[in-house]
Amino acid sequence: MKDIYILGIESSCDETSASIVKNGTEEISTVISSQIDIHKDFGGVVPEIASRHHVKNITMVLESCLEQAHMTMDQIDAIAITYGPGLIGSLLIGLEAAKTLSFVYNKPLIPVHHIAGHIYANSLVKELTFPLLAVVVSGGHTELIEMTDHYKFHKIGGTLDDAIGECYDKVARVIGLEYPGGPKIDKLAAIGQDTYKLPIPLQDDSYNFSFSGLKSAVINLSHNLEQRGEEIRKEDLATSFQKVAVESIISKVRKAIVEKDIKNVIVAGGVAANNGLRNAMKDLTDELGVELSIPPMKYCTDNGTMIAAAGYYAYLDGRIADLNLNSKSQDVLK
Amino acid sequence: MRYLYIDTSSSYLYASIVEDNKCIASVIEEFGQSLSEVALPRIVEMFQNNNLSPDDVDKIIVVNGPGSFTGTRIGVTIAKVYAWSKNIPITTITSLEAMAISSPNEKIHVPIINARRGFVYGAIFKPDYSIIMKPQHIELSELKNKLLSLDNYEFISNDEFDEELELTSYTPDFVKIIQYAKDNKEINPHAVNPEYLKLTEAEESKI
Repeated sequence: MKDIYILGIESSCDETSASIVKNGTEEISTVISSQIDIHKDFGGVVPEIASRHHVKNITMVLESCLEQAHMTMDQIDAIAITYGPGLIGSLLIGLEAAKTLSFVYNKPLIPVHHIAGHIYANSLVKELTFPLLAVVVSGGHTELIEMTDHYKFHKIGGTLDDAIGECYDKVARVIGLEYPGGPKIDKLAAIGQDTYKLPIPLQDDSYNFSFSGLKSAVINLSHNLEQRGEEIRKEDLATSFQKVAVESIISKVRKAIVEKDIKNVIVAGGVAANNGLRNAMKDLTDELGVELSIPPMKYCTDNGTMIAAAGYYAYLDGRIADLNLNSKSQDVLK
Repeated sequence: MRYLYIDTSSSYLYASIVEDNKCIASVIEEFGQSLSEVALPRIVEMFQNNNLSPDDVDKIIVVNGPGSFTGTRIGVTIAKVYAWSKNIPITTITSLEAMAISSPNEKIHVPIINARRGFVYGAIFKPDYSIIMKPQHIELSELKNKLLSLDNYEFISNDEFDEELELTSYTPDFVKIIQYAKDNKEINPHAVNPEYLKLTEAEESKI
């Protein structure tokens, strides 16, 4: 079979990225322009600033991606683009770039859901086996998605309020850690003791999650300690918080593996970089004899590689868009 | 020479293909919320209706603002990606220049765009289009003060304002715009970016 080269473009939040992937599995080149240092000063991503940087960076990112691959646009078979979900102003830059390239080079345009990208980051490491459970954990998402085959997504549960990554960042802010605080909590959690008592959220029969209660519990705890003039032991609070947050994910994943006869568990999204979660997932899947795929750290943040990888399978599935394709800030993966 | 012109900085999509002082295709469409959806398809239709391919453009002229931030970015992204990928010369013109140049009147031109909270994006041009005041984000009252010493001027705008203003409405004269802008300095596509003339609110509140 002829090799298929997909150019993937991602601009849904604060990274402008382009990548070329061969046959959905082999990374040829990837360029990521991150704005993390720019948004740090504002304590979070500022949408208008993010959009301004995307438009500034887009052609440079595309050019270095092609240069690193020693390829020209003519050699690309199709262009995959994150159409959503994400920040609308950011998404639009990648979308217009992809549509323009699709027009001037007469190449198929493939719409890719951002979460499909995070899931397919794993296919760059090893082949996926089905039925599969994708545990999507990031600053914007906490979802369990069952897949019976390539590009057959079925969401079985998700967060009822905050995303887990959002909860991590808010807790980090409460205990005085700089944005983005999630990774800093993970580091502290490794050296602290589990001494603070926090409630495990939503111990019910669904596959859903809830993190707002846990977040409030941490805020209340920190206020109470403050009022009593006691200092928060940051590392201990990080340990206690992480233990509860991870446990709430693990208990629902365990339930899904058993009830859905899952063969392969995938962890996807920015929080897949969390060591506490990685270790707990490994223990769980070892115990239940299920294969675990966790993407390498470099694929955990937003990148065009995963969009190109997912785009390959979407392409095989015949998911081609016309030039009327629009960005969507919200959209269900299907 | 065949020129592609794109302006998405307002609530209208203005696009045109001009060849040897003749406008061979144009789009003037009020689009509401769906600019990102329709901008490129409408531009593509201009090519198709004239049996032109993307390789048939010799130069791209894009409006780089001021105006709607998101809107301007859409046109600029299309133009810079096109120019970069096909190695086509590109240059920019401001929305306010395009408005002044399109006026049929022999007056001092004062194009204005409503920037809310009493502010406008505005500029002042002599009847021959040389600049009296370059495009800026300015309070309407301050702009009016600057006009006190000037005679025979016109406000050009399609926007509504809080106060009563006598306005010349704006319809782009694509041929005149391209004549004016075609020899503007060629810009490296990577460096073609919107001129917002205004910081983001997050940056303003930090100052």
